[in-house]
Amino acid sequence: MKKLAPAIALLLASFIAVYVGAVQIDNFWAALLSPGSNEILWQIRIPRVVAGLIVGASLALAGLMAQGACNNALAEPSILGTTAGASLGTVLAVLTGLVQVGSVGAIVCGALGALVATSLTFKLANLRSQLSSFALIIVGIAVSAIFTAIVGLLSAMVTRADARSISFWNFGSLALITRENLMGITITAIIGGAIAWKISPSLDRLSLGDATAFHLGEDVPRVRFLALVALSLLAGGAVSTVGSIAFIGLAAPHIARFIYGPTHRKLILHTAIIGALLVVVADTLSRTLAQPGELPIGLVTSLIGAPVLIALVSVKNNVWKTQ
Amino acid sequence: MITINEITIVRDGREIIYDYSEQIPAGSITAIVGPNGSGKSTLLAAIAGDIAPVKGTITIDDLHPILTSPAQLAQIRAVGIQNQSYTLGFTVQQIIELAGPAQDVMQALELTTLAGRQVTTLSGGEAQRVSIATAIAQKTPVLLLDEPLAAQDIGSRKRIIQLLQKLAEGGVTVVVVAHSEEADLTWADKVIKQFL
Repeated sequence: MKKLAPAIALLLASFIAVYVGAVQIDNFWAALLSPGSNEILWQIRIPRVVAGLIVGASLALAGLMAQGACNNALAEPSILGTTAGASLGTVLAVLTGLVQVGSVGAIVCGALGALVATSLTFKLANLRSQLSSFALIIVGIAVSAIFTAIVGLLSAMVTRADARSISFWNFGSLALITRENLMGITITAIIGGAIAWKISPSLDRLSLGDATAFHLGEDVPRVRFLALVALSLLAGGAVSTVGSIAFIGLAAPHIARFIYGPTHRKLILHTAIIGALLVVVADTLSRTLAQPGELPIGLVTSLIGAPVLIALVSVKNNVWKTQ
Repeated sequence: MITINEITIVRDGREIIYDYSEQIPAGSITAIVGPNGSGKSTLLAAIAGDIAPVKGTITIDDLHPILTSPAQLAQIRAVGIQNQSYTLGFTVQQIIELAGPAQDVMQALELTTLAGRQVTTLSGGEAQRVSIATAIAQKTPVLLLDEPLAAQDIGSRKRIIQLLQKLAEGGVTVVVVAHSEEADLTWADKVIKQFL
């Protein structure tokens, strides 16, 4: 029962998220049971909750891939430069007028930006042919800083109407989500999730170090490359659609490990559920606590996720041994 | 049979092994002896396919480890490294099962009582035994172990040696790196002392 708690909580949180909002929906059950009957429910609220589920699951799985590929508890998309790369890819595409925020084109550009930035981090960290977790984190922070600075510069230089939506998106929000946006992030989530599922047993072996993983038959560079592709698709799709949402990629895999143990195949589903739960709850709070305005969702995800993580670490701290 | 033919190995610009040849017979235990930094672990890593000689060849039967895919190589040789570190809290049994069936080897190395323990909480000697067990569980015709006896008490050393002898009798080629201070090497069928 304890292990089913996150899944049950997710169902409950999704229902509450659909039910509550700035506008009270008349005849809620009737509207819910007849698709398309209520515009607010079917055009705004349900797509937003579905997007929250997909984005939360994607960011959480991206974090799991980052930590597994680097064999480091601190790795997550924002630390490896993935998030900043996705932001730059999306901003460049939007500012050149090629795509609109949330479109499939923006998602492709975001995923490509994520792939370029993450590859750059791995390449630079491996310059001396000794890919250490420490080098990855330090180089990742530096790459992230450079890409974030370029996004800031570009945003400051433009005067077009796009700049406003970019700035809003850059802080992370599900407010701009429409039904049309869902297609792109669903595709990246499915492909990224499938790659993550495929390589998950290899990530178990990678946790023993590159040498032992190789001795056990793993093609380590190939596994790491596939993890990088999954990470870029998952984080790139999410970030290019709803902006940067802090903490999910770091917290969700750790919370899942504390509850379900370290086996990656098991963690795929559970990490996705916990990530989705964190984002759906955070989004519901962000749009209801300060009505008619909205709080930045990243702020709420940190406020919810951090205490949960601290509580788990304080009662059970031997799931990940740090050197 | 492992054949080492006139190999030279350079690491970080330093010549570790120069023009070295050796034959390691199948179905036996061979101990490579030498002090720290003498190149014995480097030789083991080269046999394992971890590093390539700049000159010469190494073959396991007719196979060149360095030219073989990781998956195929894992069917032929298993390696127990020195100072295996564990970052994720898998149990002892889960770790060994990453390589193959765990029950027999856990019993042989008296790890059954530790089966449910998280590897992140093990002592150095226990972690070393888990590393040896993982390599043995891979059930390969060649077993390469780097200082497997270093952190073990007398009882564990005896059990490990007995198990290695049993494996060699069954046809497994066992290559063990041992420290030069290892006084009793009578358990080995062949001792390579070129690294002394």
